[in-house]
Amino acid sequence: MLKGSEIVLQCLRAEGVELMFGYPGGAIMPLYDALEGSGIRHVLTRHEQGAVFAAEGYARVTGDVGVALATSGPGATNLVTGIADAKMDSVPLVCITGQVRSALIGSDAFQETDVFGVTLSLTKWSRLVRTLDEVPEVIAEGFHWARSGRPGPVVIDIPTDILKAKKEFSGPVKFKPHSRPADAVADGGFTDTIVAMLQRAAKPVALVGAGAKLSGATSELRRLLDDLNIPAFATVHGLGAVPPEAPYYLGMVGMHGTRAANMALHETDLLLVFGARLDDRVTGDPSRFAPHAKIVHFEIDPAQLDRVRSCEMPVIGNLADTIPAFHAELRRHKLPDFSGWRAVACGTERAELDPRGLAQPTIRFLDELFSRLPKNNVVLADVGQHQMWAAQRYRSSTPRGFITSGGLGAMGFALPAAVGVQLARPDACVLCVSGDGGFQMNIQELATVHRLGLPIKMVIVDNKYLGMVRQWQQLFYQRNYAETDLSDNPDFVDIAKAYKIHSFRMNEDAMREFPVSNETGDQMDRFLASPEPELLVFDCAPEANVFPMVPAGAALSEMLLEEEPTQ
Amino acid sequence: MRILTGASRRGLDIPSVHAEATEDGHHQATLLLEVTPKQVGQLYREWYAIADVTHVGSGAAHAEPWAAAHPPTPVSLESRTAARA
Repeated sequence: MLKGSEIVLQCLRAEGVELMFGYPGGAIMPLYDALEGSGIRHVLTRHEQGAVFAAEGYARVTGDVGVALATSGPGATNLVTGIADAKMDSVPLVCITGQVRSALIGSDAFQETDVFGVTLSLTKWSRLVRTLDEVPEVIAEGFHWARSGRPGPVVIDIPTDILKAKKEFSGPVKFKPHSRPADAVADGGFTDTIVAMLQRAAKPVALVGAGAKLSGATSELRRLLDDLNIPAFATVHGLGAVPPEAPYYLGMVGMHGTRAANMALHETDLLLVFGARLDDRVTGDPSRFAPHAKIVHFEIDPAQLDRVRSCEMPVIGNLADTIPAFHAELRRHKLPDFSGWRAVACGTERAELDPRGLAQPTIRFLDELFSRLPKNNVVLADVGQHQMWAAQRYRSSTPRGFITSGGLGAMGFALPAAVGVQLARPDACVLCVSGDGGFQMNIQELATVHRLGLPIKMVIVDNKYLGMVRQWQQLFYQRNYAETDLSDNPDFVDIAKAYKIHSFRMNEDAMREFPVSNETGDQMDRFLASPEPELLVFDCAPEANVFPMVPAGAALSEMLLEEEPTQ
Repeated sequence: MRILTGASRRGLDIPSVHAEATEDGHHQATLLLEVTPKQVGQLYREWYAIADVTHVGSGAAHAEPWAAAHPPTPVSLESRTAARA
C-alpha cells in the first residue's frame, strides 16, 4: 500500500522528473513528507513565484518539463504570474498545488482558493484531482499536454486528504491522447507553392521565432537560411537561432529591433515566418505590418494563424518536419538572384551591429561583458530597458542561450529563472542581467543562490528608475515621471553582503574608453570566471533611452532612432 | 469552462449555454453569442486550441468561411487569393 504522496512522486519520476522547485505549506505537507528517497531533488526557493520562475528557467534551457510545487491558497496564487509567463512563452511547466481536504472544498476554508478557476485561462490544461485512483492518469495526461504541440503550463491541484490516503499501486501509466484537429500536419503539397512564391518575389525575408528553438530544428533552419541567403532577423525569443555572424542576419526585429531589420520587414514582398506568432511587439500597428508582403507562416499552433494578419500560406506542423520537407524541394529549383535586395537590406545598415559605433555607456558595458563570456554560456535578462539592450547586443548562436520573459514581460523573472538555468547547466557561465526595479521583485532568491552555491553572475543595471516606464513617460507623457523614481534604492552591494554573496560596483566611467582599460577588462574577466555567485552593480545614467523604438500604434517604418522632440 | 472563458474574456455576453453528454461519450456545448465575423474566427481558433475540443461548428451565416477543415491546410496560392478576392 502506498500513500497518495508516494504515488504522485513515483508518477513524476516516471515522467522523467529529477528536479523540482517549491515552497511547503499545510496542504502540500504530505508530499514533502514523502520526498526523501523519492529520487527527486527538491530546491527550496524563498517565494512560490521564485519556484515557478526557477522551474521555467530549467524548462526554457533544457526543453524538459519544469515542475513547481506550492501549497494551497496563497501558495498557489503566488504561482499565477509564472503560469501566465509559461503560457505566453510556450514553456512546458507542471505546477502541483496542494488543496484543502476534499470535504472542505467550496467552504472558504483556511488557505483555500479555487486555483483551477483562477488559472483556467492561463493553463493549457488543468485538473482538480478528486480521487486517489485518478492520480496516475492525471499526472500522465498533464505532462503530455505540457510538452506536446505548442508547450505550455499545466496545473494539477491535489487535496491533502488524497495525498494522505493509501491504495495498492500497480505503477505509473501512459497517456493515450485522442486525435485532435490541431494535431494535423501539412501535407507535402505546400513546398511547391512556397517555391513558386519565392520565384515570383523580389524582396523576400525570413523571420525566426521561438518555434525554431522549441522544435529543436535550428540546424535544419540554418542550412535552409544559408541556401535561401535572404535577409533574416529574429524575435527576442528567436535570438540565437540564427548565427549572428551570418552575412544575411539583421538582428532583432520589432519595437526595439534594429533599423535594418525593421525596414527590411516593412519593405518585403514575401515574408517567411518560422515559428513566430507575430505578436504586437514585432508587428507594430498590425494594419500596417509588412504592407507589401505575402506571408508564409510555418507554425505548430493553428491558433496563431491569421491572428494578427492573414497569411497567404499556412504551414501547420513541427518545424523539425516542415523545414526539411521545404528545403528538400527548394534544392530542386533555381531561385532568382536576390543579391541586389540583399545588398540594400544587409549592406551598410549592418553597421549598427558593430560595437565600435556604440556611444551609450550602458550598451557598451553589456556588449563588452557579452564579448568576454565563455563559449558555454546562458544569458538571462529581466524586463525593461536592460532587457532590450541585452537583446540588441546578444551575440551567441546557442539556440537556448538567451532567456527572458518575452510575452508576459514579468519583472522579477531573471534571478529565480537563473537558479533553474544554473542547476540545469552546471558547467555553463550563467549571466543574469536585471534592472534595479526587477531585481528587487525576487531579491529574496539570493538566499537560494547562496544556499546552493550557484555560481550565477548577476548584474544590476542600476539607473535608479523604473527605466522603461520612465522612457515612455519622457517620450509620450511630457516627462511626467509618475511613480518611477527609485532613487532611494538600497545599497545592493550591502544586500549581497548580507546574503554572503560577493559584490562590487562599476560605473559608466569604465566604459568611456574603447577598448576598455586593462583594469576594467580584468575586473570583468574575474567576475565571469569566479566559481562563486557574484553580483556586479553597474551605476548608469538615469535617463538613457532604448533606440530604435517603434511607438505603440506606429508602423515599424516609423521607428524613433534617437532622442527626438516629445509629442 | 475553458469554452466559456473563450467568450467571456472578449467581453461577450452569453445569454444561453446548453451542455449535454453525447452518445459517443463526449460532451457538446452550445452557446448563443452575438459576435462579429472577426470574433467568430478568434473563437474558432481559441476553442480548437483547447486540449479536449474535437470539433467547432456554427449556425451563424457569417461563419461559412470557418466551416472548412481545421487547422487550415495549405492550398495553392491561386485558389487562396481567389477565395479572398
